[in-house]
Amino acid sequence: MSLTLALRVAPQVPMEAEALTFDRVADLSESDIAALPLLHGNEKAAVGDFFKVSGRANGEVHLEGDLGRVKYLGAGMSRGRLVIHGNAGMHLGSAMIGGEILVKGNAGDWVGPEMLGGRIIITGNAGHMVGSAHRGGTIGMRGGEIIIHGNAGNETGNGMRNGLIAIGGNSGDFTGVNMRAGTIMALGGLGWRSGAGMVRGSIVSMQPAELLPTFSYDCDYRPVYLRLYLLYLRELGMAVEDAWIEGEYRRYSGDSVELNRGEILLLNRQKLS
Amino acid sequence: MAENIRTVEHATCTFCGCVCDDMNLTVDLDKHCITKAENACVLGKAWFAEHTIENRPAATIDGREVGVDEAVEEAARILVNARFPIIYGLSDTTCEAQREALAIGDLIHGTIDTTTSVCHGPSGIAFQGVGESTMTLGEVKNRADLVIFWGGNPGEAHPRLFSRYAVTTKGMYIPNGKKDRYIVSVDVRRTQSTPVANLFIQVKPGADFELLWALRALVRGRRLDPSVEERTGVKLDTMKQLVERMKTCRYGVLFFGMGLTMTRGRHFNSGALLALATDLNEFTHFVAKPVRGHGNVTGADNVVSWTTGYPFGVNLSRGYPRFNPGEFTTVDTLSRGDADAALIIASDPAANFPKAAIEHLHRIPVIALDPKATETGKLARVAFCTATYGINVGGTVYRMDDVPITLRPAFESPYPSDQEVLTAIKNRVRELLNKKAKPKEARKAA
Repeated sequence: MSLTLALRVAPQVPMEAEALTFDRVADLSESDIAALPLLHGNEKAAVGDFFKVSGRANGEVHLEGDLGRVKYLGAGMSRGRLVIHGNAGMHLGSAMIGGEILVKGNAGDWVGPEMLGGRIIITGNAGHMVGSAHRGGTIGMRGGEIIIHGNAGNETGNGMRNGLIAIGGNSGDFTGVNMRAGTIMALGGLGWRSGAGMVRGSIVSMQPAELLPTFSYDCDYRPVYLRLYLLYLRELGMAVEDAWIEGEYRRYSGDSVELNRGEILLLNRQKLS
Repeated sequence: MAENIRTVEHATCTFCGCVCDDMNLTVDLDKHCITKAENACVLGKAWFAEHTIENRPAATIDGREVGVDEAVEEAARILVNARFPIIYGLSDTTCEAQREALAIGDLIHGTIDTTTSVCHGPSGIAFQGVGESTMTLGEVKNRADLVIFWGGNPGEAHPRLFSRYAVTTKGMYIPNGKKDRYIVSVDVRRTQSTPVANLFIQVKPGADFELLWALRALVRGRRLDPSVEERTGVKLDTMKQLVERMKTCRYGVLFFGMGLTMTRGRHFNSGALLALATDLNEFTHFVAKPVRGHGNVTGADNVVSWTTGYPFGVNLSRGYPRFNPGEFTTVDTLSRGDADAALIIASDPAANFPKAAIEHLHRIPVIALDPKATETGKLARVAFCTATYGINVGGTVYRMDDVPITLRPAFESPYPSDQEVLTAIKNRVRELLNKKAKPKEARKAA
């Protein structure tokens, strides 16, 4: 039986729960887990005040209930698997190093900010600032994968340095803004001003997009690496069409205000067979 | 009647961010009103004329008139018992009062935000991310030969900005005033400010970022897609001419307003403009400055910054400050239903916030301080009628260029000042926290 923490008392105000990571709870008894600290608004609380704890971790920890008000779940996690059966609050997997977080629901803003490694999968939608830098920071996620089956908000991959963000639906405005490197794949549409200030890195979309005037058209081609990425996403359960794998992409380079070494690849829908 | 007339020279108008400190006020002490405000603009005249002594209770609880002490007790009780209390407003009161509000926020481990978050908050984010090439308005007056107004209408919102500092005034190195300056206005439509401009650039709504980005590319000599004309509605030749003028001026200024900060793109719009100013410093001296609205909103930014390190949207739940607009800004904490108590100072969010936020204000206990009857005051559990800063109360305010200015009040008010009420609440909060014997608060109070 794997370890399960079931929410029994809904938080009245935002809760901060860095303790709820695989690393912290994996080797503890139920009573020790129940005694771990939380911050409920401005008051200290314990996990047991809000969660019913049962079982022991056998490689997985399950969180049950609507945790949309619970922040920092899986923050700094380095191993194991955290499965959230419901919504997750802000700062999910903040500065995560390894392991996997699966959210069977929606996630709030700042999914995987400044993440270093590991994988986050959201079956629903995510808020703004996915894989981004914190306010005041310049470097966003530096490694790992964030897979969102639904839509994502604005500033996805703000300052991203490395890793992969894949969005099954639409991505909001300023996707990949100030991006240093890494790959963002928005299988739906891109919002306004994607790639603004990007230095390097790749932004891919299967839908047409209006780009900034500081991006310029280069060529149409079939990048090999994109096939590998799309096949990998299909393995992860994302709906990837064959035409995307075989298709031709229009390549734009930018942002010329910066180094002009970034690329935006848009599926050439006119050449779809 | 004429015997009880008082004149106040060099008084300060606290209506807008210009904080003009050359008012000569004539005060009727019997009627408790200002009968004449020499040097004031149309907005300042209305500000001075409308602030008289109104017959309102100094304090109410649930609409019932009570003594100030009783209201202070109830306010302190609400704040001490709250788990996610928010403090909001602060832009129309003195720095001294702002300090007291910050002290309360620190004691109760609350979340502190100012009206900056709904006006130039995006600029605050951009300052942190991009930086700011800044100045005082005195420098503009004496040196600026190219002045660009972007996304604002100072002619109506800050009438004396033109005549005192930026357009018609004569300065040390601008001896002929307007003749020595080139004025550019960038906006989505013609306004009352447009006629002063030598060049008016009409940008398509929602295309400010694209235009700023294109100007940055031209300044840096980079590639630019010709589609920029269609996107922005501005001819490429016009952009090139403007860039040439910007690069060759002696001292250039970019003033920007909420037409830039509160349209789609927000902090990136402000950031693009600040980055443009930075780029131009490769060629000449160029500065940028937000044109601020409320009389002491700049003071609020300063006080919150020097106290917590951040200008607005600051959370102290953990006992130390954290800055995260979107998470800790008041519209968000109310709309999401996070806050469980609110202390609102000199602001009226119940009149102008989004519906979800106002609905939540109705659900939680609210403490309101304001010289006027407001929508927020009506829904408040505890409401204080306070004296008006700059008219009844002295203290310090900051002009939009971060210059502190001392107030010279015109006549006394029977109502307590914001500072007095907040100090009383702070002291009572401290006592209640000591009684509650929370270890952290007790240590702090000791």
